[in-house]
Amino acid sequence: MDIQLLFFAAIKDHFPDLKKIEVSEGDSIIHLREMLTHKSPSSESILKVSRFAVNQVIVSDDFVLREGSVVAVLPPSSGG
Amino acid sequence: MSVLETSSHISSSPLFVSSELPDIPEMGGFVVFSGIVRNLNEGKKVTHLEYEAYAPMADEMIRAILADACKKWDLLHANCIHRVGKLEISEIAVIVETGSIHRAEAYESNRYIIDRVKHEVPIWKKEFYFDGSSQWSKGCVHESH
Repeated sequence: MDIQLLFFAAIKDHFPDLKKIEVSEGDSIIHLREMLTHKSPSSESILKVSRFAVNQVIVSDDFVLREGSVVAVLPPSSGG
Repeated sequence: MSVLETSSHISSSPLFVSSELPDIPEMGGFVVFSGIVRNLNEGKKVTHLEYEAYAPMADEMIRAILADACKKWDLLHANCIHRVGKLEISEIAVIVETGSIHRAEAYESNRYIIDRVKHEVPIWKKEFYFDGSSQWSKGCVHESH
């Protein structure tokens, strides 16, 4: 099944063209984190400190993905 | 006591500190914090900044932070607007306003709001330097995710 991906700030440099990715039924955020690290090993350090949001809600590593989930990868924020 | 609502907490237009106070007769203390683009960061001369936000989520999170502040303190007014896009030196990046009967609540809640906005809300800052280089701010690392 496919999920949609949104990248922001520094993480965009690692996945410039990746808008969706195929995951398996039952895969959670931790699986996605591993898949993205595998796709771009140089992203490992920033992925480790990034939060993930599904449909605009921050989720934990054990959150299970569903078909069509919109997943945002959020590097450490720096507003203000 | 109602908190003034705004339609959006994320703005691509310049921000200005208003000389007009909210029209709330019970209000005895009003605090405004403005975060300003400065020309120096960690020893490097900065020419300008660019702020990026996951706008719909950032807007909702700021709304929730303001609501939390209103639960913790007895506020008559609370608002926060954060700028996105290209900002020049001395432009305002963020404004937080709080108003209450007494000053203590206005001061404390204002600090609470800006600290949470800075640490939690999906907004990122890219710094551009005089030497032509640029860099995303490392930001605040979260203990859990």
